[in-house]
Formats: sequence, structure tokens, C-alpha cells
Amino acid sequence: MKFVSPIFEVKNLFFQANAQKILEDISLTILPGDYCAIIGPNGGGKTTLIRLLLGLGKPTTGEIKLFGQALSRFKRWNKIGYVPQRASQLDQNFPATVLEVVKMGRIAKQGLFRRETQEDRDAIEEAMAKMDVTDIQDKLIGELSGGQRQRVMIARALASKPEVLILDEPNTGVDVVSQQRFYKLLRELNQNENMTIIFITHDIGVIADDIGRLFTVNQNLLTCNNPKEAISCEDMSALYGIDAHLIHNHHHHH
Amino acid sequence: MIEMLQYDFMIRAFLAGIIIAVLAAISGSFIVLRRYSMITETLAHSALVGVAVGVIAGTSPLWMAVVAALVSAWTIEYLRSNFQLYSDSVLAIILSGSLALAVIIVSLAGAFNSSLFSYLFGSILSVTQEDLIIMSIFGVIALSLLGLFYKELYFIAYDEEVARTSGIKVDLLNFLLVSIVAIIIALSIRIVGTLLIGAMMVIPTVAALQFKQGFAKTIAIALLFSLLAVIVGMSSSYFFSLPSGATIVLALLFIFIFSLVVNRR
Repeated sequence: MKFVSPIFEVKNLFFQANAQKILEDISLTILPGDYCAIIGPNGGGKTTLIRLLLGLGKPTTGEIKLFGQALSRFKRWNKIGYVPQRASQLDQNFPATVLEVVKMGRIAKQGLFRRETQEDRDAIEEAMAKMDVTDIQDKLIGELSGGQRQRVMIARALASKPEVLILDEPNTGVDVVSQQRFYKLLRELNQNENMTIIFITHDIGVIADDIGRLFTVNQNLLTCNNPKEAISCEDMSALYGIDAHLIHNHHHHH
Repeated sequence: MIEMLQYDFMIRAFLAGIIIAVLAAISGSFIVLRRYSMITETLAHSALVGVAVGVIAGTSPLWMAVVAALVSAWTIEYLRSNFQLYSDSVLAIILSGSLALAVIIVSLAGAFNSSLFSYLFGSILSVTQEDLIIMSIFGVIALSLLGLFYKELYFIAYDEEVARTSGIKVDLLNFLLVSIVAIIIALSIRIVGTLLIGAMMVIPTVAALQFKQGFAKTIAIALLFSLLAVIVGMSSSYFFSLPSGATIVLALLFIFIFSLVVNRR
């Protein structure tokens, strides 16, 4: 068997802010092709965990490796696409068209003295088509609905052709129909392009059938490798208070 | 109108004005979008310290202004990132501190005179051949750097965190941007003056933003406004013998009001 180096490898991660424990002894491994959801109560440290994985904060102690390399020495950031939660909080009057925002996804990839290549243009077009924002490419981002803006942010992440896509509450303020289409797309990216998907979400019920791995974060971490058996993950309801019933029922609806 | 261009000083002033207009509009747009407009005022006052030193030491005030503005910009960034201080208070402290220092230097040397007045409010008469050469050299450097990194700067202005996680060297580019802005501000004090350069950096972009366009178009509009204000302002300065900084800023104000009114809904 070929050895695959994990996308993320976290060992004994602790994080404190102002003497308050946010994350405690987190260890986890995410492999290429994984399809993971991170759930947990508000303030439980989900976003903090993601931010630490992306180098946007320094852990108090612990080790983080990306693609087998220590975080501090990691350089190949273009392998990672990140869609933060606060996309809707960005300056809505910022002068940018949808196309200009999606193009940002290619900037880090182009070197210095770069011009836009055909490869760039193809990647941008493909990303816009996937997220169905091609028709609105000349609109200002300030004119978009919440769902449209979210799709643009994801298109920007996809434009860099990442191997991992990390989404923080991607469906905040998005209607149900778009949500289902959105999860279908994530599934396709995961299956057809072997893209590793990690997302933070509240609505575990909608996607329980699909996801491969489930992480519950509430200061500590609990991993369920088979989310359909979430009910049998005994500590889960204690930790999170999740309505296991919801997951179960949902399974029968489909 | 054309006869004013018979004078060498006027040609020099126009060339200098155009260089400033282009640089201020482009770099100003990043500063405005990052909600960092006040740094222009602070750096301008720091540049005044350089002017004071230059006037007294008999060296080029412009060179000294560039050095002083750079030192100030780096100090601000250092304080902001290494101490728990509010950005705007850092700016206020350095602004007053610089002005105090400049006034003391000038007072001690007994050099309060009309030449200092021209550094405060700009003067079309004051641009020397040497000034123009310095401005061209730094102008080309600043413009090339902005040209090389404008995409990154734009990304950072919109979404600093995602820019960082996509591998863009955010800290380095922030440092580069304030350095470029410091140089541009120092160069501008001949034409626009220390007390008025802030308007030159900020108003073209704010006026252009009223037209609600994408980024490329917004910059183009800002550039147009900036050039228009410099040409109108310097011409009025010539015809009415007024400080050019003041006439340019008034022209900018009219443009700003026009933009507000035209785009009102």
C-alpha cells in the first residue's frame, strides 16, 4: 500500500485566549479525499480550530502539519481553498465585480511579472460555471443576495484549483433549494475530483447521509467515522446536545 | 490659458502635479478601501519634520521629507503590530508628535518664513529642476511597485485573511504599501503642501466610489478626477496667485460634491 501523507495532521493541540481554554488536546488526521463535517455548539471552537489549521492564529501548544510539512514551513497555500464564515460581513460597498472577486483566486498562483494566462482564464470560467455565477459576473458584489455572494466566494476558492476546500458555515443565509444543490456540488467535487472537503456547519441533518467523517468540537474533539451511526456515538449528545433523531429521520426521507 | 506654459516654472509645476495626481489617486485607493485614510495626514506631518531639517541644514528638503515620512511609516507599522494600541490613536500621537518636533526645529533655527508657508500649502513657484528629477525617479519606482503588486494589494484590501491563506505575503505587502504612500506624500508637499495632501490621496477615490463601479473602473475614474483637479487647481493658482494646494483641494471638493449629487438616488 502506498503511503499517503495526510492533508492535515494535528497532535495535542491546545489553544487559549485571555486565559480561557478554547481548544483542549485536539488530535486529528485528515486524509486526501476525506469528506468531513465539523459540528459543535457556538463558541465551542470550530472556527478557531480551522483558523489554527490555516495559520491564522498561533496554537498555545501542539503540532500542526499540512501535507506532511510543519505549518510554519508550509508554502504551497494554493493547494488550499478557504471560504470564511464572515463573507457576508465584508464591505458590501467595496468596488468589485463578481469577475474581479473570482479572479482573486488566481492571484497567488500567478508569479511576479505575470499576465493572465489561458490557464487562468479557463480556471476562472470553470469555477464560475460550477457555482453558477457566470451570468452575474459583471454585477457588483454589493448588488448580490446572500446566497449569490456565498457562491461567488466559493467560486473564488475553486478558481485556484485547490486540493482541499475548507468552508466555514457556507450556508448561512442561503435558501433550502440552493443548499441542496450546494451539497450535491460538494459531493461531486469530492467524488469526481477527489477534492478533500472540510466544512463547519449547523445543519448536520441535511447532509448526514453524505458526509464521510464527522468531528464534534466543543473544546474537546470527538470523531465519528461513520456519521450515520452518530446515535451510537454515545458522548455526542452529551457534548453537543444534537438531536440525533433528526439525523435518523432524515435518512428515511430520502 | 496657454500662455502660462511659457514659463519654465509652470511647466515644471504641471509635470510635478501630474506625477503626484497619478500616484496619489492609485495608492490612495488602497488606503481608502482599507479605512486607513488618516495615515496620509500623519505621514504628511512627519514629512514636515524632514522639511524643517532640510531647510535648516541646507540639504534638499524633499530628500529629508522622504526619509522622515518613511521612518514615520515604519514606526507606525511597528507600533501597530507589536503593541496593543488602537491604530487611530497611534496615528494621532505620531501626527502631533511630528508637528511639535517640526515646529521646535524651525523655531530654534529662527526659520519661520515664507518658504515654510509654501511647504504647508504648496506653491507652483517652488518646484525646482532638482525636485522634478527626484519626483520622477521616486515616481517611477512607486508606480512600478504599485503596478507589480496592485492585484495583491487589491485582494488584501478586500479580504485580508483569505489573501493570507492563499499564500500572499500580506505583512510584506502592507509594509510596502505604507512605504510607497510615505514616499508619495513626501514628494507631494511641494505642490499640495503638508496640510492638504491628505485630500489629494483620499478625495479622488471617495468621489469615484460614488459611481458604484468595479475596481478597475473606480481607479480609472479616481485617476481622471485627480488629474482634472490638479490641472484646474494649478491653473487657478497661477491666475489668482493662490497657494496651489488650496486651489487643488477646492477643485477636489467640487468634484466630490458633483459626484455625490450626480449619483444621488
